[in-house]
Amino acid sequence: MTITATEICVLTAALLACLMVGSLHLRVNLWLYSLSTLCIAAATATSALEHSEMGPIFIAILIALLKSVAIPKFFSWAIDKLHVQRDLGAMVTPPLAMHAAILLFALSFILTKEIPSPAGSVNGWFGAAGGISLVFTGLLLMLTRRLAISQIFGFLVIENGIYIFALTQTNGMPLIVEMGVLLDVLVGVMVSGLLLFKIQKSFEHIDVAQLTQLKEY
Amino acid sequence: MNFLVALTAIPLTSVVLSLTKLKVEQLRVVIPMLTWLQLVILTFLSWPALLSNTSVLTFSVDFSIDKIGACFLLLTNFIAASSITHSAWFFANEKLLGRGEEPQHEKLFYVACALFVTAMSFVFLTDNLGLLWVSIEATTLFSAALVYFSRDKHSLEATWKYLIVCSVGIAFALLGIILIFASSQHGAIPGGSMSIRLLVEHAKELQPKLLQLGYIFCLLGFGTKAGVFPLHTWLPDAHSEAPAPASALLSGALLNCALFAICQVTAILKVSEHALLATSLPVIWGALTALAASFFLIHQFGIKRLWAYSSVENVGIMLFAIGLGSAPLFFFQALNHSLAKVALFLLSGNIIQSAGTKDLSHIRGILQVSPSWGITFAAAAAAVTGMPPFGGFVAEWMILSQCENLTQGIAAGVLLFALALSFIAVSLHVGRILWGKPKHQTVVHPTFASTIIPLLLCIFSLLAGITCLPMFFLNQP
Repeated sequence: MTITATEICVLTAALLACLMVGSLHLRVNLWLYSLSTLCIAAATATSALEHSEMGPIFIAILIALLKSVAIPKFFSWAIDKLHVQRDLGAMVTPPLAMHAAILLFALSFILTKEIPSPAGSVNGWFGAAGGISLVFTGLLLMLTRRLAISQIFGFLVIENGIYIFALTQTNGMPLIVEMGVLLDVLVGVMVSGLLLFKIQKSFEHIDVAQLTQLKEY
Repeated sequence: MNFLVALTAIPLTSVVLSLTKLKVEQLRVVIPMLTWLQLVILTFLSWPALLSNTSVLTFSVDFSIDKIGACFLLLTNFIAASSITHSAWFFANEKLLGRGEEPQHEKLFYVACALFVTAMSFVFLTDNLGLLWVSIEATTLFSAALVYFSRDKHSLEATWKYLIVCSVGIAFALLGIILIFASSQHGAIPGGSMSIRLLVEHAKELQPKLLQLGYIFCLLGFGTKAGVFPLHTWLPDAHSEAPAPASALLSGALLNCALFAICQVTAILKVSEHALLATSLPVIWGALTALAASFFLIHQFGIKRLWAYSSVENVGIMLFAIGLGSAPLFFFQALNHSLAKVALFLLSGNIIQSAGTKDLSHIRGILQVSPSWGITFAAAAAAVTGMPPFGGFVAEWMILSQCENLTQGIAAGVLLFALALSFIAVSLHVGRILWGKPKHQTVVHPTFASTIIPLLLCIFSLLAGITCLPMFFLNQP
């Protein structure tokens, strides 16, 4: 069984995301996210070269510029402004959570084995596994963190996973849809980033575990 | 492209006007007029689709509309126009109370409303699953600004929950849509397609495994946005913390959008060879949602939370109708729910302003405070619980009588129990609100003007029930 360059990029991205779960330092998380997203841009580019199409190259450049440079820059600025360095961590300790993430990485290979490979290509198994693993990692990140900013990181990782899934399981999404999704994610991240500042201002912390004023009695 | 201009010209005008130096008092007159004008334009635009039963009106590559879509489009814009018109009185009263003193906030409210309603319109107009997803995600982003309106701690918490829960939920719907797209690339359509109508045409040739998996993810994702149990957690918070006209929009228009998306995806699976999933899963889930919501209704402490859970219950009923495969019934139920629930949210906004609290245990004797509010409130509550002369009763009756097999029969039994339970719970709460001695000094003097819109909505709901006109219009005797 041969492994293509795209699949190597995808699996590297998934493993880098697993490492994110292992560190509570926000800046380390941002670097890992940036690298993981760069791998995804590389995967987009190599898959475009394999199919000898030029359209996706444009998307790869957009992803590299927006998601692996602009978004981490924005959050790095936000971290400075909010004066937070570390997440507090919830429920399980980071090393344990990272091992869980790696276990889920392995599990996603089992889960995606049954998914039929995309039309016209021999095998899409590794790509699907990488995508699902990223989704799991993102969910795990959201569950094991307390700061609002880490929840946004988790969402970004999930979104990367879904993008990888689309990249490897379909023969190219329509361009307009791809653009729309990218725009929505960017605006969503900006809106939630701005909300972070409002939460910091009103509550004087960004700890989601303490946002419990609204509940059922 | 012409239709895109027609669709976005008025909302963009509202946005620009709201951002200029016009006074809010002027905006309160201009913006509602523009939204009613938009409703007229959309009626003209979708008129051919409304008249014919089968044909689909195509605007351009990814945009087309059929009869049900046109009905939903007009309903959404009608609800939006009513809510925005009422918000003029609502904000004038806020000012009397000494709240909402920042005109900038109100202007931003109008901006967010215009964009939000446009995003919702696109949900019904697009034929492309991907663009459908983009529109629904856009509604989340724009309506977050509405939930955040009062800018206090509670609204901040509600907005954060809303944004995160819905974004993650909707992300799963995207995964589902990608799976459905992938299923079309296995020989059914060369190159694959996201067009809903093409997918329905070729449903039998789609790759079954991918299609079923995609359907489940779509149900999960759009279900989060529609507020089905156990994914409803954001809904009561967001509905309760948003200002009353925004709660009305969220409940009366946004939930329909998410359910419409589920309806579209169900339509694809229904004609494929694996229809069992599409007929049983939404029916069972809908019945369970209604049941869970009716339990939450019993012990409620906030007036708007009460109506939020009642919305969850109605989402359950609508999901049930979708599972039965009857889009007209789904529309009929959505119509009645939207009319009655918007009336209730708008009136609750008045009551909260007058009583100065959202706490149900402190709101008493509304009939004494203002008979016109009290009577309209009682009528709207009766309509939303499905009392006989109103449209809700006819819709629920037809839904329950359409069950075909054992699974649907059992689910219908559960649904019936949930309906009875929620009827009792809502009647008890409404009874306590209406009678008794007012516990508070009336701050805002109730004006009849603030009853006009809710009263009209109740009358429409009554007419829909007595004449059953919507059902004849949709050819479902």
